[in-house]
This record gives sequence, C-alpha cells and structure tokens, in this order.
Amino acid sequence: MKNQLKVLRAMRSWSQADLGEHLDVSRQAVNAIETGKYDPSLPLAFKISRLFALPIEEIFDDEFEGAHND
Amino acid sequence: MTNLKERTMTDADNMANNNGLRRLWMMFSGIGIIMISGAISGYLSQRDAQGDGPLTTLDVSILGLFAAVILVLAFAIWRLFQQTKQSGERVPRRERLNNRIIWGCGIFGGIIGLTLALTGNMEAANEPSPFASGPMSPMLALILAVAIGVVLPAITFYWHKHVVDEQEDAAYRAGALIAIYAFWFGAPVWWFLWRGGILPQPDGVPLYFMTAFIALIVWFWKKYR
Repeated sequence: MKNQLKVLRAMRSWSQADLGEHLDVSRQAVNAIETGKYDPSLPLAFKISRLFALPIEEIFDDEFEGAHND
Repeated sequence: MTNLKERTMTDADNMANNNGLRRLWMMFSGIGIIMISGAISGYLSQRDAQGDGPLTTLDVSILGLFAAVILVLAFAIWRLFQQTKQSGERVPRRERLNNRIIWGCGIFGGIIGLTLALTGNMEAANEPSPFASGPMSPMLALILAVAIGVVLPAITFYWHKHVVDEQEDAAYRAGALIAIYAFWFGAPVWWFLWRGGILPQPDGVPLYFMTAFIALIVWFWKKYR
C-alpha cells in the first residue's frame, strides 16, 4: 500500500530506527511499510496516525477509486 | 535545496545497513570457525584411524594453516564487533533485545557446534555429513536433547512474546506455511519414489532440514527484502 511515511519521517529528520523506537517495531518493519512491502495492522496504523497527528487516510492510500465515483 | 524524497535515507539508515552487513559477516565467521574446528577434528581422527605416528611437518603445516584461519576469523569477529559498537547506531528496543538473544544463542549454538565438531560426532562411519545419524555418547545425546527440547522452546516463547514485531510475525507465518506445504507434499513424493525403487528409503533427517531451511529462507526474504 502506498503511503507518506518516508516523507513524514524525513520532515522530522527521523531515521528508520527513530521511527521504529516510537512505534516499538524494528527498522525492518518501518522499511517494509515505507516501501509498501508490508501493510501494517489496524492497531499499528492507528499508532502511526496518532504519532503524526494525521488521519489514517492521509498517510495511507489504498488506491481505491470507487469512493470518488459515488 | 534538498528534496524531501532525497532526504528520506538518513545517515543513520546507511549506518544501520552497514552494521547489518557487519552482523552477517560475524555470523559467517562464527560458522567458519565451527567448520574448520570440525575439519581439524576430522583430520586428527583420520590419522588416528590409520594408526599414523607422531605429527609430520606436513601435518603440522596443515593444522597450522587451519589454526591460522580460525585466528583470522576470530579477529574479524572481534574487529567487526568493535566497529558496530563504535558506530553509536541507535537501535530500537525490540532490536536491542533481538541482538542480545542472537548473541546468546550464537554463543550457545557455537559451543554445541564446537563440541560436536571436536568430538567427531558430526561424522558417522567415516561419512562426513550434516545429516549424519551415527551413534553418539548418551551424555552428549542428553545435553543436545535438553538444549533443543527445553532451552530452545523457552527462548523461542520469550522471543515471540517480547521481540518479534508484527512484520516479523507475518514473515514467520509465511515461512511456516510454505515449509509445512513443502513437507506435506515432499514426504509422500519421496515415499512413492522409494516404493518405485527410484530413491533410497525416506529419511526424516533431510526432511527435517529441508522444512527448517525453507521456513528460514522465506522468513529471511519476507523480513529483510
């Protein structure tokens, strides 16, 4: 899933390890989420959302177009 | 002005990658020490079996070469460890715990591996093989059984409860799923081919190693790709 994690992290000058520390996950997990190789669970997505004070849908993009056609 | 996207890979991320490589080399060096120790043990056992006398100059040269390689690998581990320590890399809590457990297990596994290599138990009937199923002393068998059957499950339970995060958990599950399917399909295939006289009788040891190896490879790929 595409996301803004890398950009949000860079805006705070955080390394992957810094973000991993904040989320209590490994650097590999941060890297896998950033590169779209792993989709976080709902609890972790909420944790990310709270950390950056942004709604989940502003951080993650599931590329679903259906909602725009309604 | 630096583009945001260009800044996303920080120096700290690069440092972490370098330290990851260093840890990998430390692991390979440790395995190398165990394998060369096994080679020394095998060489001496072969001399004993042939009833050779005192060590010749050639024997001393060969054993000296093995010992020198062990020393070089031991020095490499020490040096890489120092470099990792001096890098001042920030490591998340789970990874710190992970690294401590890996070091503990590495030392524990190294002691077991060295014991097996030096007592010649990795060889059965002069047939060097990691799949050897030759006899070993009851004491060594008991020690290994307790290590694998009691110590390892306790460490594994702690590992999954306190160290593994959800991404690694998913990697483990993918590895376990593919490995169990490989076992479910691989074992009967071998069994049928044995009944057809094409392969030797099925053996649980290579099947065990195949299952573990597949789980490990998939876990590694899913976690680090």
